[in-house]
This record gives sequence, C-alpha cells and structure tokens, in this order.
Amino acid sequence: MRRTLKQRWARLRAWLTPPRTLKVTRIGRTYLVVTFGVGLGALNTGNNLLYLLLGLLLSMVVVSGVLSERCLRDLSVRRVGTDEAFAGEPFAFRWSISRKQGHAFALTLSEEGSPLSGAGGVGYLPAGVEHVVRANLTAPRRGPMRLRGVRVTTTWPLGLFAKTRVLPLEGLLLVYPRRGYACQDPGDAERGPVGDAGNPRRNDGSGDVTGLRELAEGEDARRIHWLKSASVGKLLRVEREREERRTWMLAVEPGLADAALERRCEEVAALAHRLLGEGHEVGLDTGVRRLRAGAGTAQERRILRALAWLGFEGDGGEKDEEAA
Amino acid sequence: MRQGARLRLVLRDLASGCAFASMAVSGQLPLWTLGLYIVGLVAALAGKRLFARRAKLTALLLLGVAAVLVVNVTAGTLNLVVAACAFAGLISAHRLLSAPDPATDGQVHLSGLLMVAGGAALSGDLIYGVFLIAFGVLASVSLALGVVEAAVPEGEPLPVRAVLRPLSTGVSFAVAGAIAFFILFPRLNWNMTGPRAAPGLGPASTGFSNTVRLGGTGTIKGNPRVVLRATLNPDPGVEALGAYWVGRTYDIFDGLEWTSAGGVKHLREPLLTLRPGGDNLVHQRVELLPAYGGQTLIALETPSRLGNAVANSTTGSRRTHLQEMYGGEARFVESGLSYSYEAYSLPPGGSGDSFRRLPSVEQDALLALPEALDPRVAQTAARILNGEREPLAAAQKLATWLQREFSYTLELSGDREDPLADFLFERKAGHCEHFATALTVMLRTQGIRARLATGFFGGERVNDAYIIRAGDAHAWTHVLVPERGFVTVDATPPAHRPSQGSKWVQQLLALYEALESRWRNSVVDYSFRDQVDVARALVRPPKGSENPERSSLPPPRAWGAALVAGLMAYAAWRMVVRWTGRPRPLDATRFVDAVDAVLASAHVSRGAEETLEELDARLAREHHPITRALTPVTRRYLEARFGGRPLRQGEARQLLSTLRNAVSQHTRSMDRASRAS
Repeated sequence: MRRTLKQRWARLRAWLTPPRTLKVTRIGRTYLVVTFGVGLGALNTGNNLLYLLLGLLLSMVVVSGVLSERCLRDLSVRRVGTDEAFAGEPFAFRWSISRKQGHAFALTLSEEGSPLSGAGGVGYLPAGVEHVVRANLTAPRRGPMRLRGVRVTTTWPLGLFAKTRVLPLEGLLLVYPRRGYACQDPGDAERGPVGDAGNPRRNDGSGDVTGLRELAEGEDARRIHWLKSASVGKLLRVEREREERRTWMLAVEPGLADAALERRCEEVAALAHRLLGEGHEVGLDTGVRRLRAGAGTAQERRILRALAWLGFEGDGGEKDEEAA
Repeated sequence: MRQGARLRLVLRDLASGCAFASMAVSGQLPLWTLGLYIVGLVAALAGKRLFARRAKLTALLLLGVAAVLVVNVTAGTLNLVVAACAFAGLISAHRLLSAPDPATDGQVHLSGLLMVAGGAALSGDLIYGVFLIAFGVLASVSLALGVVEAAVPEGEPLPVRAVLRPLSTGVSFAVAGAIAFFILFPRLNWNMTGPRAAPGLGPASTGFSNTVRLGGTGTIKGNPRVVLRATLNPDPGVEALGAYWVGRTYDIFDGLEWTSAGGVKHLREPLLTLRPGGDNLVHQRVELLPAYGGQTLIALETPSRLGNAVANSTTGSRRTHLQEMYGGEARFVESGLSYSYEAYSLPPGGSGDSFRRLPSVEQDALLALPEALDPRVAQTAARILNGEREPLAAAQKLATWLQREFSYTLELSGDREDPLADFLFERKAGHCEHFATALTVMLRTQGIRARLATGFFGGERVNDAYIIRAGDAHAWTHVLVPERGFVTVDATPPAHRPSQGSKWVQQLLALYEALESRWRNSVVDYSFRDQVDVARALVRPPKGSENPERSSLPPPRAWGAALVAGLMAYAAWRMVVRWTGRPRPLDATRFVDAVDAVLASAHVSRGAEETLEELDARLAREHHPITRALTPVTRRYLEARFGGRPLRQGEARQLLSTLRNAVSQHTRSMDRASRAS
C-alpha cells in the first residue's frame, strides 16, 4: 500500500512538474518593467506610437518564447561523464548533445537535482551533429551521487528569459574524497622488504627475472638456476629484480561519522596516493570491506572507490557507477 | 576580442544611435546634449572606450549634466520630458564609452529602450518609425550575438551567420505581431491627444512678420520644407492646385518696406467671420506644420470664416482663440509648434468687400505713395496704361508688361536706396515682392486702389491632401474693383510663382511627404473609430462604393473575410486531426504496463532490462504461484507485440482480470501463511 501511494505521489509530482521552466533574467526584469511602463503610458496618453512600441515589446516577448522553445525541442543528450571526480575541486565532465532537425543556440548544460555546481555551454548546435559539451563541475562532498537528468537551459534569443528543459537521464557519479595532505604517518609496514635490502645496487632481489649470468666466485649458490646450468653446462645464476616494496594495510576505523569520517577518508586517500606513488603495496580495511594489498594506479582507483562508497553502502550497488 | 564580438559591439552602438536619433528628430533636445552624444557615439564606433578605466569617476560628469538639466527645467526653459530624454541619451553615451561587459551591454540596450519610448512621446514623424524599426533590428541582433557569445567556449568563433537567419525570421514576426497588436488592441483611452508637434531638425523657415522689406536674396524660394497641409471640400481633384493661399495684406509702402495701417481688430474669438459667405464656400481643414514658424492663419483666397483652431505643443494639444488684425489677417492667440484649424473661402474672382465698407484709414492707405517715389514710376505707368482707367484691366495690362519686360531672379545682392526704381529702371530683374510692389505702386500712381498680399502659391497633391512648401511663399497684388472688391492680379511670371527648389530634392521630399501622410493617417491618428472601421470593412463595402443597383450578393470584402475565416477553421481542423492522429503507444505496450501494475501489487517487479518473458521464465524456475496465470498473458503479449496478432476488443481486460484474480489469491494465501506462522 505504501509503495502504491509512493508511486502515485511520484506520478502526481511528475504530472504537476511543468515540461519547461522559465526564469526571468536580470535584464529581462528591467525589460518587463519598461514594457509595463510603456503600456501604462500608452493607455494613459493614448499615444499611438507608444501603442506601436508596446506591441513591438510584447511581440518580442512572444517571439523570444517561441524561438527558445524551438531551441529546446528534439534534443538528445548522452552523458559522457568524467574520468575521475574529487570532492571540492573542479573536474572535467562531458555530455554529448545532438538534435535531429533545426538549430539550437546558446545552450547551457548542467546536472539536474544534484549538488554539482558548474555548467557547460554550446553556442550553436546544428542538426545531425553530435556536439560534446565540456564543463568544469565541482562536487561539494565525497560519495556516490545519483544523477536524475540533464538540465538544458537557453537564454536565446535576447537573454530576457532563461528557459529550461530537464532531459531525464539516470546515472551515478562517484566522487572520490577530497585530495589533501596526510598529516598522520602511515605507521609500520605490515611486511618489510623482501630480499637483500642491504645492498640495493645489486640485482639480487626476489622480483622478476632480469637475466642469467655465470656464477662468480664466492656468490650465493642458492641463486643458481639448475635447469639452465644443466643445459648450458656451466653454473648460471639468476638475476632477479631487487624487491624494495613494503606493504601497508590502511584502515578507516569503524564508528567514524560525518566530519571525522570525511577527514579520515581524505587522509587515507592521501596516504594511499603517497605510498602507491612510492611503489609500495597498499591495502584498505574499512570495517565493512577489505581490499587486499596491491600496487599501481589500479589499486589506487580501487581504494578511492572504496573510500567513496564508505558510509553510502545503502545507496545502491557499485555496479552502475560506470554510468557516470 | 574574439571574432564576431566586435560586430556585436558595433551593432549595439548603432542601435543606441538609432534610439537617440528617434528622439533627436523631434528637434526638441538641447543642442549641447546632441553634440555630447554624437561625440560619444563616434568614439564608441571607433572602438575608443574612453571611460573604461574611470567608470565611477566619469559618472560624476553625469551628475553635473543632470544638475544643468534640472536648472533648465526649474527655470522653465526645458520641458521635463525633454530633459529626461536628454539625460537618458547622455547615460547611454556614458555607457557606450565604458568597458564593454555584459552589464554595460544591458544598460546600453535598456537606455536605448527608454530613449525610443521618449522619442514616441516627443515625435510623431515617420522617421521616428524608421528609427524604431532600426533600433529593434540592431538591438535584437546585438543581444542575440551577446547571448550566443556567452555560451560559446573561450577561443571559439561566434556563429554570426547561423544566428542571423532564425533571428531575422523572429524579428519579422515580431514586427508583424507589433502591427497586429497595434491594429487590434482596443484603444482604452478616449482622450486622444492627437498628433504631437515637434519642430523637427532645423529652424522654422516661413515666418510672417509685420513688414515686407524689398531687397536681399530670395533664399526661401528654394526651401523644400513642407509648411502647410490641407484637405479641401469640394476636392478639386487636380495634382497641382495653382491657388493663392493668403496670409496677410500690406497697404503702406515707404519706399523700402510694406506695413499695415492698423493693429488688433478683434481680440479673442473662437470663430472669425471676415466677410459674408455664400453657399459655394470652399471648406479647408488646414494643418500648419512646425516648419511654418508663424502665428498667422493661412487660407485659400478669399477667406470668409476661420475657426476651430487647435495649437499643438510638446505638452499636448489645446484649443486656441483667434484674433483679427487690420488688413484681413487672423492670428492664433496662443503660440504652438503647429496648428490645425478649419477655414471657409469664397471661390476665386473677388473678395466681395465693397469700397464703402472699408474704414477710412484703409481707404486712404490704398492710394498712399512713398514720399520719395521716383517720378519715372508714375510716368512709366501712365505710358503703359495709355488712358486705361478700369482697375482690373489696367492691373492686368501692367502685369503683362512686367512679365514681358522683366526677368525673374533670386540673386539680388546688396541693399539699394530705392529698390523699386532699381528694379524698374536699373536691374530689371527681381523676385515676387519686386513684381508685386511695382504693380501695386504703379496702380496707385494712376489713382487705382491696390495693396500687397503675401502668402503662398501652389498646392501639390499628396494622397488626399495638398501640401505647401516654404519655397511656395509668394507676394501678389490685390486690386480694388468696384462691385467685386479686391481681385488678385499677379505680376510675377507664372513659371516663377511656385517653389524654386531643386527638382530631385522636391521629388524626394514629395515621396517622403506621401509616406509621412500615410504614416500620420494610419499610425499617429489611428483611433478606436478606425479600429471599428477596420472591423466593419471586413464585412461591409467601403464608403462611396455603393452601386445604384444593389446586388443581393454580399460584397467582395465579406467574401474575403469568409475566406480568411474558412482558412483559419481549416488550419485549426488540420491541427486537431494531426493531434488526434499522432502516433500513440501500441496497445500491447500499454497492456504490458497494466500487467506490471498488477504484478507490482503482488510485490513482483521486473528488474532493470528484464523483459516480461524473462520474468515469466524466472518465476517459473522459482515455482511462483502466479506463473500459471502469467504465462498465457506473456505469450499473448508477445503475439500481440511481435507476432502480428493484435489484442482483440476486451481481450486485454479479460487477461488482466485472470491475472488479477491469481495475484489476489496469492496475496491472500501469503497473508494466511504469515498469520499462521
């Protein structure tokens, strides 16, 4: 029953929502005041030229409405999205817009019903051309953001009114924690360096094989590659890349909320960024989720994504976040 | 500055210039404001934004200007509306010279709008309409380019050509809409102020003075400005009227100047009767335009009655009384920029004034001669008349002699001690005043009473009215003929009586006058009565087109109106048909929506991108109880949607009913199970 009521309410709200919204701009307000004054003067004095001027002013309002409506018709918008979005700093966001017929002018695109600020614009959109609009958006906070639709606004032709149409387009944008500086030290590594860390100039680590060479006098016999040595007939030793990675398991303590949680997420993100940049392996433990330690940019992306979802687990799965 | 932005600024500045010009054509703005604005506009068009760095400081200049205007208004030397318009122009000039940003652009356009509104209050000329349209077009294009420029990312060019095409269509529709609004919107104000008067650019050119001085150049003769417009009843229907329009007469000549004997005869009269009329009077509705510049009424010779005068000024129109002067002159009591009045005139051929009714002062003056008159004048007159004593015949004989022996010229440099003798015996060339003076004085030397008359000669037809130019100013002679009164005799050669201006200028002005006349009739003087006439004209034939044989068929205009109404009804019908015949969602699609709604009541919903078929398969795997009802529904939907077997009438309702029953049974069993547990 509750669901039915909710659906009905949503349907009623959708029905009541006008297909276009109109907002008078600053210059438009003054224009209307002047038009009102001219109308008052025309009625008061009977001056025919004022009637003519009034007719022109009102006609321009009507023409403005018609032309702007033509601009917003037949539009198709696709969300191209962004590579990565960090809270509190502008990130490049793109939409692809096109129309089947007719021209459109002075379109401004933004996200409807989301806390994202910023908009992108296209001056002229001819028919049959897919135009990618780029905008610098800013998200105020970390976390997943449900995107309901794309708001397309035009002030064409005279800038008196801003007519807006919302094109429904579901999506999700995952905003990573704000990029900052980690004051805290990451603590001790879970595992120290593997191999002979005392002699870093030698290729005698435990990493990938870098080559084979003849065993020198006094060298460790444990490095001998017996199979190759047997085939060649002399003792060959394996040279492996020296491994200097250490492993950290970063953690977001459970029970944190609001500002404290945000701050901790930013710190962990900053630590992860720094450690991964230094070539170490980093894992993450958020209490509800545990990421194995790993290295590289892909691991950083995984950590950031996990941090972004932290505290928003009830907002839906992570499977559709790529939509943004 | 990006490509196209420069064009936008030039258009913006030109639009502001047009708005200012719409006020300036009224000729009422102070000259110094005109100069300041023009300097500002020229600098702005040259790209010199002189106030860009000192916007606030230079705004103080506006305060100073405002103070000067306030002082002028307080002193009564400047009308408040004019002062406001001038100030709006100077604000616009200040904005033109400021740094071009969106806020400045808006202020320039809005001040332009105010100026255009001010121009409507100051001027009713056709040229105002031209500037209004020019402002509308230029400002619209500039605004549109500004709007697009704001949306175009930095570094990309403005799509100027793409903008112009839809915008020109839009502006055309706006102009058409303005005209439709103008024609159809009911005039709620019944106190029509009538045409406003504006002096226009340049000083008034034809002023009647108390004296006529011989000598000097005849510059007025080449002036093509229109000073009088009149409609006549009965309408002569000729293109060139060739009539004498009299203003005043002079009867005393001192050898250099003509003056009149008396002063004011009647002080304030709403209607003046100069002489008795008859049944065949010519009625004139006369409009003296601002270029006239005098207060003397002009009427066709010979005026009988004058009245119903209205003086138009910048503040409006008001009725004014007339005063009669000696010498047959009538003047407006109150001054105005222009006047309109009615006059009745006797048909040509004599004034009807008898000699005995004239005051003795006037009788004596009609024979008065200057003391130092050259004796050769009388001798010459006697020689030419050769004993002719009948006044009219004598006058015509002398006029013929003057036209034959003397040439017409406007180039008379230098003052002469005795201009009449100089004309008759030395130079033998002069303009209309010399010819008229010579004829009048020569008649008087022979004892024939005569006087000098001044006014205009001509009448050029424009639409349904006749216009008189400043160059049509003329002087001629009134000869007193027994039983007929004063009769006009003109000694000036006929070819030189009308305006002597450049022909192509006159043709150009005639075209402008024709347009101006149409503009006045159709726009400035358009009233509620005209609106009613427009409505009536759609169903009734125009006045005067009734045939004596009345047709039983409706007039053509009624057919036209019916045709337009029919076309509109057809267009509306086409719209309705198109709307009702628009593609609708398939019945099967709507059916599946209904199925979804029924399933939702059983808390069964399809997942994202899950088809009904997949849902049915899933429920079958889960052994859901409603599968038995859902499977035939799904199959039938697939057939209807993709199999080319649309749902029959009532079939959807039946299927849904079955499904609904299954769902309700399932819901009840679930409730029972939950209660039992």
